[in-house]
Amino acid sequence: MKNVQKVLVLLILIALCSTVLFAQGVQEKPKAGGTLNVYSIMPEKYATKIFEEFTKDTGIKVNFVRLSSGEALARLIAEKANPQVDALWGGPADTYEAGVLEGVFDVYSPSEAEKVPAQFRSKDGYWTGIGIIPLTFLSNAKYLKDKGLNPPASWTDLLDPAYRNSLQMADARTSGTATERIYSLVKVYGEDEAYAYQKKLHQNVQLYTKGGAGGAMPIATGQAASGVFYIVDALDIQQQGYDLVISYPKEGVTYGVEASGIIKGAKNKAAAQALMDWASSKRLGEVMVANLINYIPTRPDVTVTNPSLDMSQVKLLEADSTWKGENRTRFVERWIAEVIQQ
Amino acid sequence: MHETNAFRPTRKSLMKTDPALFSALVAVWLSFAIFIFLPVIRLLITTFYVDGTFSLANMRKVLGTSYNIKALYGSLILATSVSIAGTFLGYIFALAVTRTALPRPLKVLLGAVTILPLISPPFTSSISLTLALGPNGMLLKALGIGDFSIYGFLGTWISETLTYFPVAFMVISAILNTMSATLDDAALSLGASRWRMFTTITIPLSLPGIGNSILLLFGASLADFATPLILGGHTFPVLPTEAYLMITGMFDLRGGATLSFLLLVPALLVFFLQRMLLGKKSFVSVTGKNGARTEFAKLPTALSVFICAVCLFIVVFILYLYAIILWGSFVKVWSVNNTFTLEHYAYVFKHGQKAISDTLLIAFLSTVIGSVLAVVIGYVAQRKQFFGKRFFEFTSMLNYALPGTVVGIAYIIAFNQKPILLTGTLSILVAAYVFRYYATGIRSVIASLEQIDPALEEASMSLGASSVRTFTHVTIPLIIPAVLAGMRYLFIHCMTAISATIFLVSVRWTLLTTRILESMTELQFSQASAFSMVLIVIVFLADALMLYLLKVTTSKFHKPQEISYEKVGA
Repeated sequence: MKNVQKVLVLLILIALCSTVLFAQGVQEKPKAGGTLNVYSIMPEKYATKIFEEFTKDTGIKVNFVRLSSGEALARLIAEKANPQVDALWGGPADTYEAGVLEGVFDVYSPSEAEKVPAQFRSKDGYWTGIGIIPLTFLSNAKYLKDKGLNPPASWTDLLDPAYRNSLQMADARTSGTATERIYSLVKVYGEDEAYAYQKKLHQNVQLYTKGGAGGAMPIATGQAASGVFYIVDALDIQQQGYDLVISYPKEGVTYGVEASGIIKGAKNKAAAQALMDWASSKRLGEVMVANLINYIPTRPDVTVTNPSLDMSQVKLLEADSTWKGENRTRFVERWIAEVIQQ
Repeated sequence: MHETNAFRPTRKSLMKTDPALFSALVAVWLSFAIFIFLPVIRLLITTFYVDGTFSLANMRKVLGTSYNIKALYGSLILATSVSIAGTFLGYIFALAVTRTALPRPLKVLLGAVTILPLISPPFTSSISLTLALGPNGMLLKALGIGDFSIYGFLGTWISETLTYFPVAFMVISAILNTMSATLDDAALSLGASRWRMFTTITIPLSLPGIGNSILLLFGASLADFATPLILGGHTFPVLPTEAYLMITGMFDLRGGATLSFLLLVPALLVFFLQRMLLGKKSFVSVTGKNGARTEFAKLPTALSVFICAVCLFIVVFILYLYAIILWGSFVKVWSVNNTFTLEHYAYVFKHGQKAISDTLLIAFLSTVIGSVLAVVIGYVAQRKQFFGKRFFEFTSMLNYALPGTVVGIAYIIAFNQKPILLTGTLSILVAAYVFRYYATGIRSVIASLEQIDPALEEASMSLGASSVRTFTHVTIPLIIPAVLAGMRYLFIHCMTAISATIFLVSVRWTLLTTRILESMTELQFSQASAFSMVLIVIVFLADALMLYLLKVTTSKFHKPQEISYEKVGA
């Protein structure tokens, strides 16, 4: 029995030490050459399809994790000393601007960068736009019918008491959709007026959701009446078959530029550059159109087939990404102080 | 480390008198240093050092906002309500399983249903709760209730209570089962009524379990960010959610970290309160002096009826919530096209295969390592005397008391640079789980040891057995039910938790829970439901397998009495 005892002591000690040994950790090296590690802010279902095509075209295999824009940036900053990924894919350009200030991105000018209009790429070459997404109103058709309402056609329509406690939209602290909403309102009304508007709007808001698309399902199922979304999320849920109405405010909306960029210290730099080259070619736009991925391509020479993406009837407001990046934190803090905490 | 033995001051150094304890302590402290102190210290530096000097600027900024103060109150109120309601429910379920005349299949059903909220990620039940009780919710419509808002305190409270009461159930039923039934017999044969027996024997003897359960639930609720995120709305802020929003939304790691440090105060308070309440009393009921083991006496009839009614109501409600998810996973488009389809499951097995195998591997490793650590730490903390014992016990629980979000960020900061480079590895995920969720194991081992008379171990020692032999041959067999409870909880948590590890998943190691959250935010409700169902089934099966294996390996020690988990398991 003495031996059994010794063996047991040994086993316990080995188990304990193994947790410590874990610390030495075998650092799993990413395979060099044919692979690329990416944080994707673009939803997984889109990124999967796009990267499949990219792999077909270039032979480069893509590993990716999908993160919200805030999480992705927080991680990139935390991992600065030892970057875990080579590129950031998707997500609003102002997130990239914030990252540039933190020194997260590397400069790279893709081979066809000149074909992408200047407002859709970084002035200094830190990021390149891959898609454009304007804001839109998404409403539950049945709710509108029951209350005898027309689809909202102006920002002020959302202040109608008929919508009391039945709007869902994103929380400015977590969602790029929400900050885009604030940019739009500031462009439409001017800053102070925009916050006065939002205080009134707050009376009708049932819930601020974490993700930009979070309110779309409740609206689809009739839990909420209406909300403000990026067109890509609104179209996606409508395409699933729910009875929904998409409308635009006559005062106009700003639009988000979905971007992509290379991380400073990327371990697979050549592969990351290949992705940027591919993304700024016509190929990406064609893949998106073919797969019903509802971003408007940044390349003007890609033909869009979906009529909902035809922006000729929509008043688009210009909001410079640098301006967005510079004002974002201040706008959100003011939103917390004046709208949420009132 | 000062290895003086305060208990018997005349004896020589611990290294000589009890080498096993000494080496165990060294190993455990070493792992604490790496996986608990290092991340916290790095985080403290991030919080309190601005440009190389100590600064309270972050703290002042955070405390100066009334909304944050409101969040602090919100957290305290929520954690208190959840720990009381959850412990109450858990106690009722534990009584139903161990002390009532319910037929065995029903008890099995009770146990099985209880596990459901525990084995699904908290946000899943929050979503089905919203569909049932949210604006325009199905249940509200069915009951004809118009004006009811789930968002805010009420919804968060209901959801967290449903999610966490199974923890109370597991901890308390372990205690109820290890009580000696002869006490019941003695009370009854001395002429006490069943009520008197219940209030003077059953309740006082289960106090350690109740105390632990309250502590665990308070901690869990205090740290949970997923439920308030979905159900709290903007009217009911709580600290972990605010911290999470600050870190992920405002890119403000300092502010978020500072906010979450406010949580440490209540967490510490509860911890010390519990020690004060339970530290002095003796709850020994396993003395080794028992006669033949008899059945537990049944409860008074009125109480039994009440207990069964509550259980029935809760069980039906939980089943209803999960039916929504099950249904969602099999229909084409939720609430629009109700055609039966298996395409969501095909999607899960095609695109989620890696997540499934990764999650299983991580959970398995974490459970094994965590359980061993929990038994050693729990035993050492309850039975042995050594310098810094309270600090030792507190340290072991630190990662559990800290909000997961903070642990996740702290791990990234600490393990992303040399000498310990772990980001993107399997090890960091396993370490995060082990040092966060072995807490239940430690607590239930301690609670169970509090009921076992040290005389049993002293007898073994005085008969010449070493401390290790006593530990393996006397103590372990006696605390197996508690270890089992801790292990199951650990495994379940490794399969479902998300708050810390959402920051630690990498392109090489991914988790099922993050995939579910992804599907949710991508509006793929059906895929999310299918993922959840797969996760639930996997945990159920693994759980059953674990129970079977443990039954086989422990049958030697437990022939006369059955472990409750055999009754309540899958």
